[in-house]
Amino acid sequence: MIGIGEYYVGSVPMMAIGLGSCIGLTIYDKTRHIGAMVHIMLPESSGRTDRPGKYADTAVLLLINKLSDMGCQKASLVVKMAGGACMFEYFGNNLNIGERNAEKVRAILADNHLQIASEEIGGKSGRTVAFYPDDGGKVTVRSADGVAHEI
Amino acid sequence: MKLSSVQVDAMQELGNIGAAHAATTLSQMLSSPVEMSVPKIRVVDIAQLADNIGDESAALVVFELQGEIPHGGYIIFYISRKSAVRLTNTMLGLTDPDRPLNEMDESALLEIGNIMASAFLDATAELLGFIMLPSPPSLTIDMAHAAMQSLIAQMQEEIDEVMLFSTELMCEEHKIDSDLIMMPETSMLKTFVERLENLMKPS
Repeated sequence: MIGIGEYYVGSVPMMAIGLGSCIGLTIYDKTRHIGAMVHIMLPESSGRTDRPGKYADTAVLLLINKLSDMGCQKASLVVKMAGGACMFEYFGNNLNIGERNAEKVRAILADNHLQIASEEIGGKSGRTVAFYPDDGGKVTVRSADGVAHEI
Repeated sequence: MKLSSVQVDAMQELGNIGAAHAATTLSQMLSSPVEMSVPKIRVVDIAQLADNIGDESAALVVFELQGEIPHGGYIIFYISRKSAVRLTNTMLGLTDPDRPLNEMDESALLEIGNIMASAFLDATAELLGFIMLPSPPSLTIDMAHAAMQSLIAQMQEEIDEVMLFSTELMCEEHKIDSDLIMMPETSMLKTFVERLENLMKPS
């Protein structure tokens, strides 16, 4: 279970529950069968370094670096993400944090020459995301009253 | 922001007064007794939010705290989906406990939330001597964690810990269980504590 701003690297199943505007980002190494997942809350770290998993700009680099430290090659990485919903249109000063989170993740991935294999972003509903590095890097998404489906 | 034990007691008392008013209005709407718990104050690291609020389906009626402090945080009427159906069934004179929630239920939940939040804020604002108004309500029926997380992400002051003041409101007759949760911004919390300390000073 990966809480807000947390991450994990390994081969065991991982899960981030109840993503609203947050994003669950997974990177799977298809040759080494390990992966990393992070639960991102905000787009910009603005220089903060104590919780790198909390912000899109630092979280993406964090996962890439952790995997590369373990010897993973960029060419074998499969990137997926889900979340970034907008559940409350009325509130908030600088709107749609979910969409801004997703854009930031895409931008940092592009800077690092990584493509997104699949994603489920936006809408108004919360999602629970599960990641199975031990099962071919499968990623499933479930909404409040739905069954889990693979992305 | 850390609270001393005296400040915690004072905030609990504030929550008690607010929730008691909210419970009375709920009791009137249901025409049955409503019991309330002692208000709980929890300081939760955002990484552990899921230990406190899961991804179960619930209805949340959310208000932003406005007034003298323009963005003071949120007040949330939280009710599990099952309890929400029993609540609106009681209000609308229906009986099927397994039906899906429709537009009529949504209006009813918004109305209940509105009345309860207003009662809570009226009572607490009167005690503290400053104006707090609820924004128009916003309703979501979805994963509770996802809704709370979205609110935390858009708070004015970026935080790693969130302070939740919650009181449980129960109606045994209709098996309804709900929570009234206040999640103040740090600026609002400071104001609460200052006002409460002034109240407790011997004059």
